[in-house]
Amino acid sequence: MSVVIPPRPAPVKTQTAGYWMRRNLFSGPFNTILTLLSAVLVVWAGYNLINFVFIEASWGQVWRNMKLFGAYRYPTEFLWRPLLAIGTMLGLMGVMAGAGGRKSIVGSAFVALQAFVAVVALIAIVFWPSVRFLWPMVFVLGAIGYGLGSRWPKSTVKQLPWAWGAWLVFGYLVLAGFTAAGPMTKVPVRDWGGFLLTLILFTGIVPSFPLGIALALGRNSKLPAIKYICIGFIEIVRGAPLIMWLFIASLLLPLILNVDANSLPAIMRAYVAITLFSAAYMAENVRGGLQAVPRGQGEAARALGLSAWQTTLLIVLPQALRAVIPAIVGQAIGLFKDTSLVFIVGLVDFFKVGDIVSGQPEALLITGGVKLETFLFIASIYFFFAYRMSLASRQLERRLGVGER
Amino acid sequence: MVEAKAPARGGATVVPFWRNVKVIGVIAQLGFLVLIVAGVGVLVNNVVTALAAANLPADFSFLTKPAGIPIAERAIPYEVTDTYGRALVIGILNTLKVALVGVVLATILGVLFGVMRLSGNWLIRNIASVYVEVLRNIPLAVQIVFWYSAILLPFPPRISDPIALPGGLLMSNVGLAFPALYPTYDFVAWVPYLIGGVVLAAAATLWRVRQLRRNDSFGRVWPFPVVAFLVVAGIGLGLTYVNDKVPDNLTFTYEADRGRGTTAFVVDGKARPAAFVPVDVSIKAATLTTTSQNLVESRQVISGTFRFPLIGKHEASDFTVAFADPAAAAASGLKLEITDFPSVGIVYADRNDNDRLDQGEDIDPQTGRGYGGVDVVMTLTDFNRMLVSDRDGQIRTPLFKSAAAARADTSGESALPRPGTRFSAFGNDAATDAAEGVVADTKILPVGALVLSRAYVPVSNYEGGMRLTVNYLALLLALVVYTSSFIAEIVRGGILAVPKGQTEAARAIGLSGYQTFSLIVFPQAMRIVLPPMISQYLNLTKNSSLASLAGYAELFVIASVISNQTGAAIPIALLLIGAYLAISLAFSVVLNQVNARLALVER
Repeated sequence: MSVVIPPRPAPVKTQTAGYWMRRNLFSGPFNTILTLLSAVLVVWAGYNLINFVFIEASWGQVWRNMKLFGAYRYPTEFLWRPLLAIGTMLGLMGVMAGAGGRKSIVGSAFVALQAFVAVVALIAIVFWPSVRFLWPMVFVLGAIGYGLGSRWPKSTVKQLPWAWGAWLVFGYLVLAGFTAAGPMTKVPVRDWGGFLLTLILFTGIVPSFPLGIALALGRNSKLPAIKYICIGFIEIVRGAPLIMWLFIASLLLPLILNVDANSLPAIMRAYVAITLFSAAYMAENVRGGLQAVPRGQGEAARALGLSAWQTTLLIVLPQALRAVIPAIVGQAIGLFKDTSLVFIVGLVDFFKVGDIVSGQPEALLITGGVKLETFLFIASIYFFFAYRMSLASRQLERRLGVGER
Repeated sequence: MVEAKAPARGGATVVPFWRNVKVIGVIAQLGFLVLIVAGVGVLVNNVVTALAAANLPADFSFLTKPAGIPIAERAIPYEVTDTYGRALVIGILNTLKVALVGVVLATILGVLFGVMRLSGNWLIRNIASVYVEVLRNIPLAVQIVFWYSAILLPFPPRISDPIALPGGLLMSNVGLAFPALYPTYDFVAWVPYLIGGVVLAAAATLWRVRQLRRNDSFGRVWPFPVVAFLVVAGIGLGLTYVNDKVPDNLTFTYEADRGRGTTAFVVDGKARPAAFVPVDVSIKAATLTTTSQNLVESRQVISGTFRFPLIGKHEASDFTVAFADPAAAAASGLKLEITDFPSVGIVYADRNDNDRLDQGEDIDPQTGRGYGGVDVVMTLTDFNRMLVSDRDGQIRTPLFKSAAAARADTSGESALPRPGTRFSAFGNDAATDAAEGVVADTKILPVGALVLSRAYVPVSNYEGGMRLTVNYLALLLALVVYTSSFIAEIVRGGILAVPKGQTEAARAIGLSGYQTFSLIVFPQAMRIVLPPMISQYLNLTKNSSLASLAGYAELFVIASVISNQTGAAIPIALLLIGAYLAISLAFSVVLNQVNARLALVER
């Protein structure tokens, strides 16, 4: 005889707001108190922030000096040149994004950047007559790149590292100019500044990449002379803070290279210091990747008859780099933040412009000063870019399965 | 199929030397070395010739020359006339001061937020996430300036009116000050007891461990050495207070005119500053004069405050307040009004002589500024105060000036206070210094090993107690908050890395949630967390080199000032690199020790 078990009642619906709150906010007396206390704190902080941002703050000083924040003393009539460089960069990134699709990591980062550019372009169209058409141009260049990237065959897209190298040269030429007059008039590097300078210094990560790889390979070398010199360089550079290297570079680089101090602009000294500093950290990241590649890979490659160089370049390095991409992105975030230290060599980057703007005579006339407003603005811009990069890094981590056990 | 070549006779292949891996390796290294040596040689040669051409110092002899750098914050006595070497030592001490405190606070804050990020409470979890994401994505430089010039400089009240918190804490835009215990000249008498305490504590530990082992039981060890140490040290401290005496070679000079006293030990015939000596200063009777410093400081100029430093409400039994030149003051319609605090006077201008302050009377219509420069004379009787000398042995208060000296100042053509003139509290000519001083009886008080020094505001800065300048606080806050966001991530990762089975097993054997965390999960997480944590500590120390943004004089700031002054860029660079490498090395030694202790003992 079989017993028919009566059907169980349907499970209680757990997706209600009340259930969620009981579970996540008020599960027990301790949690309830904690929730209430922190809710009070959040409301208080939020109220103060909103009250400050929308009512008490005087944003006029920041708003009037947007040109300084963007490009400092770069001549207004040549602003199309940095924007062209940025536009082409966005275009190149768009090609990568287009090739990978919008859901890819580059793709989503690209979309966020384009959104940022679109907002700035809208503001420019309405308020900034001198760059009214230029910011939309940047947006369009990015969009064109995306369109091309999604159509080009994969083999073309693979050539992109070369395109980035070419872009570095192109960007420098466009920014610096090479003629005495006309559209490509030379702009002295001491006039470069603001967020433009921050971006320029940030590109120091590009040359630091091959340098870092070379240092990492050197450190892993079996030849003691090469190994210990690489270790010495990496450890000494990493042992001292970047600000000290910037300071030393600005003082000693002209002496070391035996050139006139004036012929070596501060921006170049800072660039050298940033690149070498970044290379030392890059080397350690890459070394981590090299250690993560199973020995069998190298041995198998040698067994197949590949030479030592072929084994390293074709088998070991690609796997090693793949494993450390998130770490490299993390380092890029650090470098992006660290570019704010170039004030020590007298450069006026985005951060230093804030100091200047909030110290202008008209700023001092405003009751309470505009320090808080200025640095909130600066902090939020830095935050936007750094946070966007850290999101990308996290996506990468998830996709590559790094850090999962 | 490829036919394998038969090995040459006897199985030994003769490899030509240019294809021998070992030979190639040696040649490659030699080539590399030659390249490096040649490159470095050329660069060094460049530097040497450039230095010689520019006549810049290339050795360390400048370290013994007088620095002439004023340093506001110093842990050890320092004068402007001291050497560059001493200035650098102060820089290192200042770096350590901010780094050590920062490391402790950042760890506490970081662990707190790391644990909060894993909380079951949705709100707490998200508050912690926002905290971490916001702070670690904003450059430290921006954060330092933010704390310094956007928060700590404008918001707290001015030094003349500090917030007094319970426990003797004072907060103002100059910084934070609180009472502190300082070692005195008698500290040496306590040292044997401290050593004895440590010895006894070690003995107690051994005894306790042995006892536990003998009885084969579990129990706490730490209370035994702690109690043993505290008892011995406490008895020693008490004894120093019972047998207190002032050493013979402790001297004291007091210049009331300049308001500056100095205590000193005479060692080898040379007076050395003696830190933290309590001194009793008493003044039987004196006529004191001060000139209001500046009445036109703020935008709403209606009053100026001048106070006789250090004179509390009930310490002055008799006072008068008067103009230096009453006739001139009356002619220009100046009047004085005194609040109930006797040493504070407020100056108003009653221009229409109706004995009332009407609209607009506070500002001179011609200059748009207030009135300034009124002398206040006060007769002082029975002033008595115990002061603790400062770190460099100086007592900077009270800031008195004798009446005769003040009169001499204002008796000239400028007897009439002029609007908008800046006055200083002291005469600015030599005649003032030569004038008679206030006679003060001063006596060094016998005291035990420690003396409690309280913070107070004599004129425009803190005296006594422990003072943290606003520069130090800004740098510390920024470093702590920034580093804590990284530590929080490390702690979170460490806790997540502890296998879930550990928690489940702990809950299964009946441990509570708190016990599971504190006894099972956290200790295991520490093992994972410590190495990256120590590298964060190192980062914090290196990041303190951004101190110039907050105006705090740490190693890098002082070194760059010296480099600018002397042009000794190369020696300074070498010293800096050496110092930072030494710090890094110290951290990595600690790291290795900790790692060795924490590593799982594997079979």
